Amino acid sequence: MAQLTRRNFMKFAVASGAVLAAGEGMKSKALAGDIKTQTGRDFSPTTKKERKAIPSACWQCVSRDSMIGFVEDGRLVKLEGQPKSIRGNGHICARGQAGLTSVYDPDRILHPMKRIGPRGSGQWKRISWDEAVGELTSRIKKLRDAGTPEKFLYHYGRAKASSGKLIGGMVKATGTGSIGNHTGVCESAKWTAQEMTWGGHFDNWDIDNTKYMLIFGSNILETHTNHMSVAHRIMHAKVDRGVKMVTFDVRMSNTAAKSDEYIPIKQGTDMAVFLAMTKVILDKGLYKGAGEEFLEYCKCTEKHDDSVANKIAALKKHYANYTPAWAAQISGVPASTIERIAVEYATTKPAVLIAYRGPVTTYNGTDCERARQVLSSITGNVDAPGTNCKAVGAGWSSAAIPKAKTKKVKDIFDGAPKGEPESYPFPTHHASHQVLDRIKAKGPGTFDVAVWYCYTPVFANGNHMRNIEIVKDEKLLPFVVSCDTSYGDSTHYADMIMPDATYLERYDWEDMVDPTQIGEFYIRQALVKPLGEARDFGDVMIEVVNRLGIKTDYKTKEEYVKMSVDMTPGVKEAGGWAYMAKHGVWNDGKAKFYSYKKEVPASAIKEDGVVYDEQAGVYWNAKKAHAKPGDSYFKTKNAYKYYVATKMGNKLLAGFKPDKINKSGYMELWSQVVKDAGYNALPEWIPAPNQKNMGPNDMHLTTYKVCVQTHSRTQNNKWLTEIYPNNHAWINPKDASKRGIGDGDKIKVKSSIAEMETYAHVTENAQPGHIHISHHMGHYQYGRYASGKRAPEGRDDPDDKNIHWKWHGSHPNQVIPNRGDRLGGFQRWNDTVVQVRKA
Amino acid sequence: MSKTKKVSRRDVLKTGGAVAAAATVTGMPASIAEAATGNPRWAFVVDLRRCVGCRTCTISCKSEFNVPLGRWRAVIKTVDWGKFPTARRAFVPRLCNHCAGESDTGVPPCVEKCPEAKSGKRMKLGNERYRTGATYKRPDGMILVDMDLCIGCYKCIDACPYGVRYVDPNVKLKRPDREKDLGIGKCTFCEHRVDQGIEPSCVQACPHETRSFGDMNDPGSKVSKLIKEFGLDKKRADTTLLPDEGTMPHVFYIDPEGVLDHYSFDHKNQEKRLAEYRDNII
Amino acid sequence: MKNNTELKESAEHAQQRSNVYGFLAAVYRKELSAELLVQIKDSPFREVLSDLGVNLGKEFFSAPEEELIENYAIEYTRLFLGPGKHISPHESIHYERDDGDWGTHWSASTVEVKKFVESLGLNYSETDRSMPDHISVEFELMQKLIEKEKEEWEVNEGKDALHYIKIENMFMKDHILKWIPQFCDKVIAEAELPFYKEIAKLTKKFLEFDKKETSVNGEEDRQKVEQA
Repeated sequence: MAQLTRRNFMKFAVASGAVLAAGEGMKSKALAGDIKTQTGRDFSPTTKKERKAIPSACWQCVSRDSMIGFVEDGRLVKLEGQPKSIRGNGHICARGQAGLTSVYDPDRILHPMKRIGPRGSGQWKRISWDEAVGELTSRIKKLRDAGTPEKFLYHYGRAKASSGKLIGGMVKATGTGSIGNHTGVCESAKWTAQEMTWGGHFDNWDIDNTKYMLIFGSNILETHTNHMSVAHRIMHAKVDRGVKMVTFDVRMSNTAAKSDEYIPIKQGTDMAVFLAMTKVILDKGLYKGAGEEFLEYCKCTEKHDDSVANKIAALKKHYANYTPAWAAQISGVPASTIERIAVEYATTKPAVLIAYRGPVTTYNGTDCERARQVLSSITGNVDAPGTNCKAVGAGWSSAAIPKAKTKKVKDIFDGAPKGEPESYPFPTHHASHQVLDRIKAKGPGTFDVAVWYCYTPVFANGNHMRNIEIVKDEKLLPFVVSCDTSYGDSTHYADMIMPDATYLERYDWEDMVDPTQIGEFYIRQALVKPLGEARDFGDVMIEVVNRLGIKTDYKTKEEYVKMSVDMTPGVKEAGGWAYMAKHGVWNDGKAKFYSYKKEVPASAIKEDGVVYDEQAGVYWNAKKAHAKPGDSYFKTKNAYKYYVATKMGNKLLAGFKPDKINKSGYMELWSQVVKDAGYNALPEWIPAPNQKNMGPNDMHLTTYKVCVQTHSRTQNNKWLTEIYPNNHAWINPKDASKRGIGDGDKIKVKSSIAEMETYAHVTENAQPGHIHISHHMGHYQYGRYASGKRAPEGRDDPDDKNIHWKWHGSHPNQVIPNRGDRLGGFQRWNDTVVQVRKA
Repeated sequence: MSKTKKVSRRDVLKTGGAVAAAATVTGMPASIAEAATGNPRWAFVVDLRRCVGCRTCTISCKSEFNVPLGRWRAVIKTVDWGKFPTARRAFVPRLCNHCAGESDTGVPPCVEKCPEAKSGKRMKLGNERYRTGATYKRPDGMILVDMDLCIGCYKCIDACPYGVRYVDPNVKLKRPDREKDLGIGKCTFCEHRVDQGIEPSCVQACPHETRSFGDMNDPGSKVSKLIKEFGLDKKRADTTLLPDEGTMPHVFYIDPEGVLDHYSFDHKNQEKRLAEYRDNII
Repeated sequence: MKNNTELKESAEHAQQRSNVYGFLAAVYRKELSAELLVQIKDSPFREVLSDLGVNLGKEFFSAPEEELIENYAIEYTRLFLGPGKHISPHESIHYERDDGDWGTHWSASTVEVKKFVESLGLNYSETDRSMPDHISVEFELMQKLIEKEKEEWEVNEGKDALHYIKIENMFMKDHILKWIPQFCDKVIAEAELPFYKEIAKLTKKFLEFDKKETSVNGEEDRQKVEQA
């Protein structure tokens, strides 16, 4: 190219002028207003710093703790916990602290994109929001016009509180009920079991009032569904009040490490220990007192109004063979330990029993949680101060969501159809890990449009490689929209990308469980405006619905949230949104225990259609349930929705109100519906079929999480990933030496579906016979820190040269098949049998 | 948000960044010097019973200072001992010890080795006069650095037996007679926050009250109470790191379970002690 | 003091510089539009490009418009927007500040540019979703500053033009020249189609030229104004 001279510059300038004069449309118009400066005085741009503190809420994980964002000159500079929050007491975790980098992540997606070239080729073209929303709307409209709105599949990874309510509502307004979630890979077995027993889901542990903390397979000090708000209470209880903490785990988690006692337990055998502990307590009569009192409210036999003595006799009979010696053989935990811990748990009151993913990510998953409920119940450690309580969260009002009739594609969301392998009797939270398999099974034409919101089906589910094959197939999924903040392993296979606002750029009302049992109302508000063209998916769905001709009272999620907050009782009187924006949190100061003891006014059973079901002991509105006279409560579809009250003695009680499953208002330790499904009505140990004939060299593969990562959304956060950049497989020295494996060696891990390569960490913290691999790492796509995909030319990151890791980890989902627990269909993450060898 | 509070010498405020924001907005001057009552002696107490290795402190420090990748001002070390099934694991948070220095000299090794330790401004804190330097000790015990004075000889990195100092790729030295282009970084006890009456970032962030910061000279402060309760200053051999080095650390560990007995590193070897001051989970 | 002819020349020169910045702002602003393409293909501009030795290749002038626009939209996305590896056209990503506060969106440079703009009494357009330190915004600011300079040459014997020249120089020195030349190098190396490669070359050359011109002219202007 020639040098610019005065002469050719002039020609260039004149031509440029002509170009600009030719059209307004092409001029850059980012700046508005007129330049106003004081001439005659030197210009100097202002340097005054303006720092604001804005209450909001975290979203790095589902715990969603209240926090404060510090914004300096429009730039988010620091996040800290909200001291006014009764949940968090001013604390957020490492991931929360690191969250601010997600806004400014150089690998963020900031514009809507459309795929160019073959799916998965990574070639894209920016499109306008108008085009993006237009494209999605016209595809949905076509389905609506054809009378097949259900061929629009909406699948989300995380959509909670107002995001869940609004986005879910807008999706349903389009007419589809084909909605996928992710609870099936999270903890749904717990929820299903709780729905069978005490109705509703989520147990909270009242740590502040407890005297004993017994933990099974929950790494609650590092990571948890309700992590920091519980974790900081645990450590205060332990150190300040001397509350004993005992942890059973397959490996030395940080939680195990900090416990007064760590008891290693073989994979998938927690249920055996629960059963044996229950037997010890029954045999030693330790149910007497609080346990007996609570058993009044439990159903332990076919008869709901059986005497407590009969209930105990029935339990003793059922538990007769579940001896500590039997459990010791299965679990590897000495019988004497089982007995001792059972006695400690039953006699140190009140006590909490925290059992989480470890025990339930197994073949017996749902029944294991039922066994846990029995243990809590017979010791009276239920819904009372210091025990396992029915969780309480904020109950927000919602601005109006358009009502719509929906249709849903069958045999997709709940596992395989009845009679086939991988079909489940109680998939109350669905089997999301099976969705891609089910789409493949049903074949082309099942769906026309799929939207993944904050969801990475490729990475988050088992059988990783097959997931890629399925999402690549344009016949099975003709049009895929991914709405996310970052480019990821699944976005890579989308046809259109809608860049989502990060949680630091959006509005929500929030309602995560409050460990104090009070129920904290709190909000999230934008700390900064969405970067680039990023846009809250809530706003997008409102626009889609509006474009379909359906009216809403709001145009944005921000408006929806503020309207809802302003109409919520309690918060409204405190000052509504204005109050919440300033303070971030509100509560009514009342702790909620013993919800089941609430009496129901007699007028409730006099309402039209309410009948009494003898078998269940339940008053229900059979008319509203469209039941015929004499129809059984247990056997009528969705009868639980019309539950009114339970009769106990001469009292009419709210009881343990059912949700998703037709149960009585008793704590149903003995379950009619489970019996009707062909299983034992009481929790029953059935060995996992795939583990029956394990050879001497077979090992159990278990997965876990570490304190500085969330499952799959934090790996491009440099501060977190530099601490945990890859995921070595933990293996005990005994197993390692048998196989000639040294610390740091490359190894191969083979399961029934695939073989993966990774590196070994030989450690005494691993359990013999087990290999433990965390499931955060091993991204193929995603940003530079997560996957090593860096800027093409020159430097664009001062930390680029400081990236001290070359290996980005290896994802265990490569070798883990998608299989569900026998009752609820919950993904059996920790049930895989593998062979391990040196590579 | 909450109002700016004046520094409490008793306990540096718990409230954290809410105050920081207000303080920054109003440009509140350093109010540490309450001349009449004498200067504080800042100290840090780490309660090993409470640390769960969650790294909230580590990351909070990263974001407070935008610490470059691969460098840390605060780290957690995981300590493992024993064999399955009775293996044990514990966590030792580490930071700059803000050493008082040898009891006779009162000069910590990093300051002693700094050729520019006294080349800065004359300052006064309370009634005490002192001079800043490239690496210097403030009368309240903080070991601070001034990169305008640093020549990049890195002798302080060499001198620190704990390996807590690092070459900072984001600090470009300006002195014409500098030896190297890059300066160094280290924990400052969050001097910028403390001087405004706010506790250090890591202390604010720690969910489990593992970390306490305050004035040893004030018998009513939390650190003084903890020091007294656990006799932390009486048995430095058990409550500080590398007691034999005679550096008189002012980071004390409450360690009833003897975790520190299981924690060691080759501090004589520079490469190894610097490598030890990294945060990594395997 | 400048005479009328000199004042007129200065005003004209400013107009020309402003035009070029405006043109560059338009080019980097968004994908090549049909409107802009027509103008560039038009003979006066085409002639200038050939004078400058800008080689857009035969296809640029012969390929069907729609195809060209599509290909350049893909190229623009790949180069400047991602997802995945791309050369983000923002100062905060490329200006290698000594304090290490760069390499992410909205780092120290973004704040500085935003303050610079706002100190001038300008606002970021409410409807605009670009970031404050986007290359086109920086060029647009130069365009606006120089336009202001031009207006000042036309009144009061150009008394206040120097004020704006100083601001222009300040922005050039503290921002534009700190990163755009390096940015252009990255684009030159990475572009697959001729247009952005050649525009990047042209941008670099123009900035070199303008830096020289403004510093020479600026000094002359300063002397003349100060003599007066």
